[in-house]
Amino acid sequence: MVIEELIDRDLTALTEDTSLAEAIEVLSIHRISSAPVVDSDGKVVGILSEKDIVRAALPGYFELLQDPTFIPDLGQFRFRLRRVSREAVKKYMTKKVIAFTENDSDFHVAMILIKNNIKRAPVVQDGTLVGMINRADLLQHLMSEGKNDA
Amino acid sequence: MIVTVTLNPAVDEEYMVPEFHLGGWFRASSVRQLPGGKGINVSVILKQLNYDSVAMGFLAGFNGEYIRDAMRRMRISTNFVHVKGETRTNVYIVDPVGHMETGIAAMGPYISEEALSRFTINYDRMLKRASLVAIGGSLPPGVPQDYYRTLVEKAKTVGVPVFLDAAGPPLFAALELVPTAVRIDHRFISVTLGYPIDSVDKLVERISQIHAQGVGWAITACATRNGLGNIFYTPNGIYVAETDVDQAVSMIGAGDALMAGLIVAHKEGMDTEMTVRFAMACLWEEIAHPGHGIGGIDRVKSLISQVRLEKLD
Repeated sequence: MVIEELIDRDLTALTEDTSLAEAIEVLSIHRISSAPVVDSDGKVVGILSEKDIVRAALPGYFELLQDPTFIPDLGQFRFRLRRVSREAVKKYMTKKVIAFTENDSDFHVAMILIKNNIKRAPVVQDGTLVGMINRADLLQHLMSEGKNDA
Repeated sequence: MIVTVTLNPAVDEEYMVPEFHLGGWFRASSVRQLPGGKGINVSVILKQLNYDSVAMGFLAGFNGEYIRDAMRRMRISTNFVHVKGETRTNVYIVDPVGHMETGIAAMGPYISEEALSRFTINYDRMLKRASLVAIGGSLPPGVPQDYYRTLVEKAKTVGVPVFLDAAGPPLFAALELVPTAVRIDHRFISVTLGYPIDSVDKLVERISQIHAQGVGWAITACATRNGLGNIFYTPNGIYVAETDVDQAVSMIGAGDALMAGLIVAHKEGMDTEMTVRFAMACLWEEIAHPGHGIGGIDRVKSLISQVRLEKLD
């Protein structure tokens, strides 16, 4: 089955010059963990996830550490988050976007989402955003298919 | 792509209350909850007529989540700006015995400058993909009264036709920019103009003035001797079109069905008379049952020939 019927056709998106502060507000108020970044024609040029924002606010050496237990509190993180919040999305977004088309099969999409540990990915038509595919919706779809077989 | 704009959506709650009257206490025979607002209704009906659209505007709170989820289930594309507060609830009491409807509309959430700016950016982006824009409904608190004018101007600048369904100062400010088609909400027309519109002749006179401003299609509802009518001032003359009121169950969304029909007729290049008939058939099919929406294109087609049409001299 193709993913056309599983797509969330919400076109909520950020632009490259959106500030991180506004991006955080959009993610929070829309209750989404990531948002596509589009140009003025609606073409997908990147994706910004909560993970990208957290990474932007963490000290550079953080990834070298085995675990975060030595950090005493969130003060330093909050300070850095506020500092980077004024910067533009384009600096922190993931530019290499994994995107799908409406005619991709559910199996193909599920495999790529699982393999890359992605919760949601853009669906495009000629590069233009037409919606998002969510891992949870794919799982739900697989569950309901299984019920009919059982 | 057709873009619909609903700046002040609502959750429409429709209570069927036989023999409803003021001051009484009633138990509803049925209750329906539906996503509402003119542009949203147009998107829903367009979908039922096999046309895709993107619904834009503002959503807030629990009601906003409900509307977005309902649109998603109908597989209608959305691009709403979510704001703080709560999307309004509009209450309709339909009396199927007395053939009377009572409506109460709430104000809607406050729209901040930042949220409006975010919407404008999204609208500009959508215009690049749009083949037609349908704007409708009231303005929520915080949105300037001439904002529809801004939206019409932006669409016209990039050559996108605009269909506008509004009332009051937001409508009249936008008229100066000459939208492709306007539907004037008949419920507010007398209030807006400041003088009573108590006859078809007076309505025609006023619609003629709007047409004279350059608006190709100007439409408003009117009561006629034989049923429910609409006056269409078209580029090829004035038409009064009627349906039977006997089959009317609920008038909620009637004007939105008419607008959706007008849009489809425009997209399919129908001639003037067929456009009027098709739009009225959509309205007729909409009012023949409770709630929003139509039963599909085939039911609309079956009503086209039954629409009564008179071309005025």
